[in-house]
Amino acid sequence: MVIARRAARLVFVVFVVTFLTFFLLDRAPGDPAEVKAGLNATPEVVAEIRAELGLDDPLLIRYFDWLAGAIRLDFGESLVTEGFTSWELIREALPKTLELMILAEVMAIGIAVPLAVTAARRPGGTVDRATSAGAFGLLALPSFVLGIYLSYVFGVQLGWLPTIVDDLPGLNDDPLENLRQMFLPSLTLALALIAIYLRLLRSDLIDTLQQDYAMLAQSRGLPERRILWRHALRPSSLNLVTAIGLNVAGLIGGAFIIEVLFAINGMGRLTILRVAQEDFPVVTAVVALLTVAYVTVNFIVDLLYRVIDPRIRDGIA
Amino acid sequence: MASPDVPVTDQPSPPISRSRSVLRLAFGPLVWLSILWIALLVFAAVFRDLLPLREPDELGIRTREVEKFESPGWNAFFGGDSQGRDVFSRVVWGARPALILGVSATMIAAVLGSIVGMAAGYLRGKVDLVTSILVDITLAFPVLVLLITVRASFGNSMLVFVILFAVTGIPPYARIVRGATLSLAEREFVDAAVALGANRRRVVLSELAPNIALPVLSFAFIGFAIVIVAEGGLAFIGLSLDEITWGQLIAAGTGDIQDAAHVALLPATTMFLTILAFNLVGDAIRSIVAPRQVLTQRRLRVSDDRPEVAPNGVLRKETAPPDSRNERVLDIVNLHTTLHTPLGDVMAVDGITLHVNRGEALGIVGESGSGKTMFLRSIIGTFALADVSRSGVVSVAGVDMLRSDPATVRRTLGTCIGMVSQDPLTALNPVRRIETQLVEPMRVHFALDKAAARARAIELLRSVGLPDPERRLRAYPHELSGGMRQRVTIAMALVNDPELLLADEPTTALDVTVQRQLLELLGELRRQRTMSMVLVTHDLAVVKGYTDRVAIMYGGRVVESGPTNSLFAQPRHRYTVALMRSVPDLSLPSHSELEVIDGLPPSLVNPPPGCRFAARCPAATDVCRTDTPIRQHVDDDRWFRCHHPVEPDELESVPVQVAGTSS
Repeated sequence: MVIARRAARLVFVVFVVTFLTFFLLDRAPGDPAEVKAGLNATPEVVAEIRAELGLDDPLLIRYFDWLAGAIRLDFGESLVTEGFTSWELIREALPKTLELMILAEVMAIGIAVPLAVTAARRPGGTVDRATSAGAFGLLALPSFVLGIYLSYVFGVQLGWLPTIVDDLPGLNDDPLENLRQMFLPSLTLALALIAIYLRLLRSDLIDTLQQDYAMLAQSRGLPERRILWRHALRPSSLNLVTAIGLNVAGLIGGAFIIEVLFAINGMGRLTILRVAQEDFPVVTAVVALLTVAYVTVNFIVDLLYRVIDPRIRDGIA
Repeated sequence: MASPDVPVTDQPSPPISRSRSVLRLAFGPLVWLSILWIALLVFAAVFRDLLPLREPDELGIRTREVEKFESPGWNAFFGGDSQGRDVFSRVVWGARPALILGVSATMIAAVLGSIVGMAAGYLRGKVDLVTSILVDITLAFPVLVLLITVRASFGNSMLVFVILFAVTGIPPYARIVRGATLSLAEREFVDAAVALGANRRRVVLSELAPNIALPVLSFAFIGFAIVIVAEGGLAFIGLSLDEITWGQLIAAGTGDIQDAAHVALLPATTMFLTILAFNLVGDAIRSIVAPRQVLTQRRLRVSDDRPEVAPNGVLRKETAPPDSRNERVLDIVNLHTTLHTPLGDVMAVDGITLHVNRGEALGIVGESGSGKTMFLRSIIGTFALADVSRSGVVSVAGVDMLRSDPATVRRTLGTCIGMVSQDPLTALNPVRRIETQLVEPMRVHFALDKAAARARAIELLRSVGLPDPERRLRAYPHELSGGMRQRVTIAMALVNDPELLLADEPTTALDVTVQRQLLELLGELRRQRTMSMVLVTHDLAVVKGYTDRVAIMYGGRVVESGPTNSLFAQPRHRYTVALMRSVPDLSLPSHSELEVIDGLPPSLVNPPPGCRFAARCPAATDVCRTDTPIRQHVDDDRWFRCHHPVEPDELESVPVQVAGTSS
């Protein structure tokens, strides 16, 4: 019941966001018909194309037409790249973005969780103070500044890693080269995430460790490591899961700046390029995809809550 | 001059006025440096035209003043870029758009966000729901697409940027203000003011301003940093202002990072330092509002100051006579527990000596705040977030719990001690099944295999009277009632057949009928297993019915001790008498007045000398306020610490009875 209501609300969000995008792009100064017709087109040709694209219909009708297609992943043809549908362009960009996102999340979680657990073990201790200061500094580093620093150190000074992703081989063809190229961008993304995840989990863990049950676990003579990982981590991870969900959803839309900085042809660069070219069918498709991703990930996070905390499942907490 | 030999920690810290110490904590040297940096930026932004700098767009390759990719040096502090432009003057030039954009966007967002937040917090209900859906939409909406579209439609003037960043910056302010409004609207003084005829809205509004000013200001600094970052991000995508901005400098320099890294690195570092400075100041302001919990390190130390000396001053060669040693499951000698807190040292346990024989039940009685729970914690060595030192001797089944190695201590905890805590609702881990929790100690301490541990778990649950134990094993704690949960925690305490059961007010949180059942259960289990028990409670009836001996605790000390029956038959300490008089006597008419003990238990931070009870004691004299009373023995097992003990004939005039379960 709760799940159904939540799902309904999320579907509503999808409609609103896609409609708003549709509306915004309709207001934008560019005319898709002119874009498609090219520079030397006569007004008659433009009018013809307008009719062909259905641009003379009222906004609402056009929105529902688009929606009907979108459900079948038919977002229309690209106005700029002849002979390609929007979906085909997205399908080319999405894997790189997804790889970047997954690598970054894996690194971030893999580093942040053990650090947070170690820091929470002795709040105010050396590890805790060092990681807190580190996280504070990282949060003040915009991704492009961090990316430049990392490129400078690992790419220019040490010369270990390429500073741009150039002709990325497939993960199946040459996984080592692929990972070598993707390492710096993923690390740049991951470092910012580590700061966020570390802070969240650390403070939730400290709260949990002060609960009666954590102290009683100690009184049973269980090793501290076991108490931290098996007793405290799970009830402390709800906020962390929420943050990860939001980030994953956002990153599916492309890590715009990282993609530009490291020249990765992912969703972010696709969006930037297509907005500049006024290739609106592609832009709308990207937005729709993003919104659905956000909504879906949110829904999954909701479900995860229920797995993590059985009380939520039963509607108690 | 203070001699360096004197350890600072030994000095009792003088009381500092709270506000000043908070300010000092919040505004460390880093924060002052940050303020200085921000002042420099403002100066650069305002006076950039008056400074002796090169024209930022002057092409060095033409004027020959700055070379292409010139390295940083005296000629050009930050070097030259790809066209020989002076990077330093370009960075200084960028301070103005950064400040104009940041300050105006932040201010507009803060004002609009506060209005939205107040409306949502004050009206609640529908507005709240609408706001939360709006927030969902904003979060789902790809802000960058919005920015790009709007910019494409309306151009890239400063005004468009300010509006864009202001609108997208609203939600966090709305959230902060909504929270403050909600908590304020629920406070009693608002109701009180309304009852006196004040206009509710006006009360809330007038109280709100001071309450949200600092949080909003604090976030404004962080919000400013966010705007700077956002501008930089847009510059990277090629969508920034038509001015020299830091973002554009960084973006333009990135392509040359192989040949002339300084062109990108120096503006990037300027931006980084600026963001760091604004974050630090924002953080400092926040810590004024909500002083960061000064986390004392979680530490457990043993300080060995004179463990041999018993409180009565007699040197003890051994903790107990050799022959009685095996009989003593718990032997405590002169235990001191000190919590080192930012407010001072708390003497939670102040020299306790007692023991529990095999199969014996010892009751520990006292008001809340007398140190009972801290005493139990001192035995097992578990404290929440605290820096704790213990001294003296705690020996459980012959194991020194203070000085043995951690593995031995853990083993003793797991196999010799069982613990039942006060609140069954918080005693079990809410996300683990009963089975997992029950089986774990067996597997850790005895390496029992799964099936055997499970069988034993079922048997244990049955022995504590839980119906249908196989099914309960699969349950989560929240699926059981309070009484059932306490039975589970008792089963968990018994899991490894402990010799000693520590029960901290095990029935206080339960209703009366369940209390009786559980106490009977505990007594029966104890007899079956010849297990010793320490039962901490403030309920005299419970002590009377279920313990053999009793220790009365007050202010972190044991003030009177002896066999339960003889102690209550003839109490000697005046605190014991006061406790007994505060118990309702069911045999008296219902309108009989109940005596209460005036005042509160003493603060254990820098406690006064002498008898801790002196301040509340009717018989106190000067000696009580200066000298700590020593132990006076009535016989081997019966003693008290009082300068003016209650004489037997005194009690005749005021009958004292303990209503209780007769055993």
